[in-house]
Parts: sequence; structure tokens; C-alpha cells
Amino acid sequence: MTLKKVIETKKLSRIFKNGDIEVQALTDIDLVIEEGEFVAIMGASGSGKSTLLHIIGCLDRPTSGAYDLGGIRVNTLNKNELADIRNQKIGFIFQSYNLLSRTTALENVELPLVYDRTGKFSNYEKLAKKALEQVGLADRIYHKTNELSGGQQQRVAIARALVNNPALILADEPTGNLDSKNSIDIADLFVRLNNEGKTIIIITHEEEIAKFAKRMIYLRDGRILTDEIIKNRSTKESALKELEITT
Amino acid sequence: MTQFFKLFKVAFQAINKNRSRSLLTMLGIIIGVAAVIMTISAGEGASKQVRDQISGLGSNLMMIRTKTEHRAGVNVRMGRPLDKHDYEILKKNAVWMPQLSPLVALGAQVIGPDGNKSSTIYGVSSAYFNILNRDIVLGKTFTDEDVKTANKICVIGETIREELFSGRDPVGSQIRINKVPFTVIGLLTAQGQGVMGQDQDDIIIAPYTTIQNRLYGGTEYNMIMASATSENAIDDAKFEATILLREAHKLLPDQDDDFDITTQLEIQEVSGSVMNILTILLGAIGSISLIVGGVGIMNIMLVSVTERTREIGTRLAIGARESDILTQFLIEAISLSLVGGIIGIILGILGNQLVYKLTNFIIPTSVSSILIGFGFSVFVGVAFGYFPARKAAKLNPIDALRYE
Repeated sequence: MTLKKVIETKKLSRIFKNGDIEVQALTDIDLVIEEGEFVAIMGASGSGKSTLLHIIGCLDRPTSGAYDLGGIRVNTLNKNELADIRNQKIGFIFQSYNLLSRTTALENVELPLVYDRTGKFSNYEKLAKKALEQVGLADRIYHKTNELSGGQQQRVAIARALVNNPALILADEPTGNLDSKNSIDIADLFVRLNNEGKTIIIITHEEEIAKFAKRMIYLRDGRILTDEIIKNRSTKESALKELEITT
Repeated sequence: MTQFFKLFKVAFQAINKNRSRSLLTMLGIIIGVAAVIMTISAGEGASKQVRDQISGLGSNLMMIRTKTEHRAGVNVRMGRPLDKHDYEILKKNAVWMPQLSPLVALGAQVIGPDGNKSSTIYGVSSAYFNILNRDIVLGKTFTDEDVKTANKICVIGETIREELFSGRDPVGSQIRINKVPFTVIGLLTAQGQGVMGQDQDDIIIAPYTTIQNRLYGGTEYNMIMASATSENAIDDAKFEATILLREAHKLLPDQDDDFDITTQLEIQEVSGSVMNILTILLGAIGSISLIVGGVGIMNIMLVSVTERTREIGTRLAIGARESDILTQFLIEAISLSLVGGIIGIILGILGNQLVYKLTNFIIPTSVSSILIGFGFSVFVGVAFGYFPARKAAKLNPIDALRYE
């Protein structure tokens, strides 16, 4: 059985120019991520992991090399086409949630549908409620974001990323602002979503969180250092047990 | 749902969710518009009032005075005082000046049944009422016969009636001017404040003969007032008066006039230029309030849009196009500016009414002030809501997301 390639990059490089100084953030990244994968990208700060995620997420363009997302060569698309790709194919999750303040969970989750131009979604509210149920917030639909805890806010953000059924979920340090218990809950949520068939890529520098994934890519100085299947994956139970031992 | 309608909803959601920010934004515009409307209206109202009052005096009015010169800070009379002789020569010979009246003014203490007041008594002939367009509401004016016999009668203004008769009908009653009893025979139509802010109803008018004989004792006039046959005849009338008075004063050809003739047209010209200065001044104040209001709107718009750079980044990241962001912010800016502008207009009009209630100074809200204030404020509001949003929408989404 051959799985569909969601992401394929060839000799992807990104150079930042700041005046006369050139910084090679990514060098010759060859990466294939298939449907249903759950990938954790790790690396020290400055290793290029955020840059890679931004390029994968169509927020940034590579300086050279090719990037195909779901069979579409995206590095030649214009700004509006990139915006539409982000809207239709990618669900973003940020470290600091980036929800609209004083706005209900439901309205936040509906937001990607507002920018949808395909017209394939009709009942926004139903879709948003379904996404909130998926992340376990069915009873918080009408709560405003400032009335929710950090973990709950991140769940709203995940629901927002899920709502229009994108091909790819990208999470940039999704547990960076959460305590260990909440981090494990969020990581477990990713596992469940992955089990339901979602392709997920998360950036993290916490090994415990990364070990929930199926595959770990380690970056150093803009190059892939290691890329391996995680043999001994964490589960919620094992992670909680470990948490008890260490504290 | 069309994209525009969806964005409309998003924009109103954003306005509604951030009520204090929206209110502050509107407040800038409200104050800007109201301030501009009130200053410009006050300016236009003041100049209109002054113009109306001056032209209300009649444009064919002439005033003949003894020449004075300003020396070392005091007015020094240079020529022979005007008197009965001059008046009679003019009256007998002038063809361009059918109406003539001497004027003798005297400050005096006036006592009536309900109070007393120090006021100014004007001694004039019966022609005075025609020359100055002053009408009687109660009673009658005096006649040439009254002047000839120096009758102790007078016509009073509204202010005198209020102070001395508590607003009752004064006709037939007696008042005492510097202890001399006078019978009130008429009440003048109220005229309100004059050009220089003086009360034009604080006035008592009596035959000049009575004033000279009973109160004053002198034979000189303060001035001789005349009205020309028409506004066009005013130059002829002035020339005629000059010739007649030079002859009467036996001036040699190389001597200067020892009298001054001022026409209402000249007064209008002078006050016109004064009013122009006033208008420019008020315009300047209006512009300043416009600029201050504009800067206020600018500030709050800039701050609130800059504050939302991260929000813009988030929207871009989840797939908003640049045009989606722009449309949303434009709708927000236009809505806030329009609503704020309309509230500002209402407040400006109410403010003008309040000023009228407090000061009796009528300020008609000028249409141009509404257009200028509203137009400028809405323009500034939309421009400074739009351009920072445009800058943010053009940002690389990553930079917008990282914006602190």
C-alpha cells in the first residue's frame, strides 16, 4: 500500500539577508511526509526548525529548492494563492494560542471558514461545534477565550485548526506555554487526532512531548541531523507515570 | 454568503468585542467634529450678527462731528463746536439730506417708580427716529412742536422699562432725569446688543431743546445726524454738507475742514475689515481644533491598529488574504468614523444650543462647519484606520505574528 505524499521537499534552502549579513537558516532539506504521519521536529533554538515549519506552512518561501504540498508546487504561488493554500490545506497551532480575545470559542473556531473561498462549507456553526467536540470542549462552546484556562485555549486553537478538515496540522511549540499535565493532555489529543487519520507536524524542544509522535526529525544548523521512527512511543499513561516519578 | 458579507460580520464582531477601544476611537471623532462645528459656527454667527446690526442702521446714515485729533493719548477738539447755527444752515439749504437731527448726549441718573439707573439721555429732533430706523412699540414719538416748546417728554428703551417700571407699560408715567421730571410718551422696539456689545435698549430719547434747556445748559451739539436721500446719494450729501459747513464756519480755501463727516458706508467698510480679521481668527481656531481633533483620531487609530498586528498575523496565517484584512479594517474604520461623526454633529448642534441658552448669543449651526468637521474627521479616521492596517496586512505573516 502506498500512502499519499502530503509533503515533499527537494534541496530546500532558506537564506535570510540582513544587510550584508547572510544567515543560512536551512540547507538542502529533503523531506517526505506521508498521509497519516505524526512528526515531531526537534532542535536547539536557531537550528532552523521554526523556519522549516513556516515554509511547510506556506507562511514563508524557500530561497531555493522545491516544495510540493499535496501535489501542488507551492513555492511559485503568489500571495493570494498561498493564503488560500493556508486556509484550505493547513491548520495552524501556535505556542501562544493566538485566539481573538473576548470572543467565544465558537466564533474563534469559525474563523478559518470566514476566509474560505471554495464555498464548500455551509453550516459554520455545526462544523465549529463538531471541531470543539473533537477536542473535548463541547461544554465550553460559548465561553469567551479569556474565561478559559491555557490548556482549554490551546484546545480551542486546535479546534480552529481542525474545523475545515485540512490536509495537514502544524503546531509550533503547542505546549510551550502549558504546565506538564496540560502538555501531556494536548500531546495525547494530537495522538487521538492522528489515530483518526490527521497528518500532524509539531515543533517542540520537549523530548517528552516529542515522544508522543511516530517519527522524530532532529535539526541542527539548518540540516537534518537524524530522522527516525520512534520505537518506544509515549502514551498518556506512561507520560503521567513518569511525571509522578520525577516530581 | 459572499466574502464581503462575511467580512462585514467579522468587522462588526471586532467592533462589538472591543467596546472600549471602539468607543475611544469614536470619541476622538466625536470631539473633533463637535469642536469644529462649534468654533466655525460661533465665528460665522458672530460675523453675521455684526453685519446684520450694522446694515440694520441704514446705509444712508451720516454723522457730522467736530474735528478731533488724537494727541498724547487724548482726543482734542480741533474746530468750532457744531451748534444751532450749523444745524439751521444745513436744514435750510441741504437738498441731499432731507432728514437731519442734532444729537446731545448726556449721562444722567434716572429715577422711576420701581427703581433707578444711570443711563445715557440723547437729545434729538423728531427726525432721529427715521434716520436710525428706530420704531415705537407703545405710545408715540415726539413732534417738531414738542421740540420747539422744549417739552419735558421722553421715549425710553426696553432696558429702562425693565429697570424703572419692572416691565409695566410706562406710557404716561413720569421719570426723573437728574431730578427733572419727564413724562414717558413712548417705548422703543427692543434692539438687543449693538456692534460693540453695548445695550442699545439702555437709552432715553428726549427733544434736544429740552435737554439743552433743562439739563445741560450748553448750546453745542455732540453731532448732527443726517440721512441722505438714498445710499447712492451719500457722496453728494457728504459733499453738500462739506460745502455748507465750510461756508458756515467761514473757512478759507487753504484751511482744512474743522469737522468730520462719517458715513455708514465707511463704518461698514471699517467694520467689514474688522470682521474679516475676526473671521480669519476664528477660522484659525477652527483649523486648530480640526488639527487637534485629527491628531486625536490619528493616534487612537494608529494605536488600535498597531495593537492588532498580531491579530492580523493570526488571520493571515489561517488563510486570510491581504484584501480580506483590508476590507475588514476599512469597514471598521468607516463604521466607527461615520457613527462618531454623526454623534459629533448632534453634539455640536446641542453645544450651540447650550451656548445660546447660557449666553443668549445665537449661534446658527453652519452647514459648512458640519461639512468641514464631518468630512475632515471621517477622512482622517478612515485614512488612519486604513493605512496602518494596510501596512500590517502587507507584512510577512511571520513578522506580524511575532509583533510585540
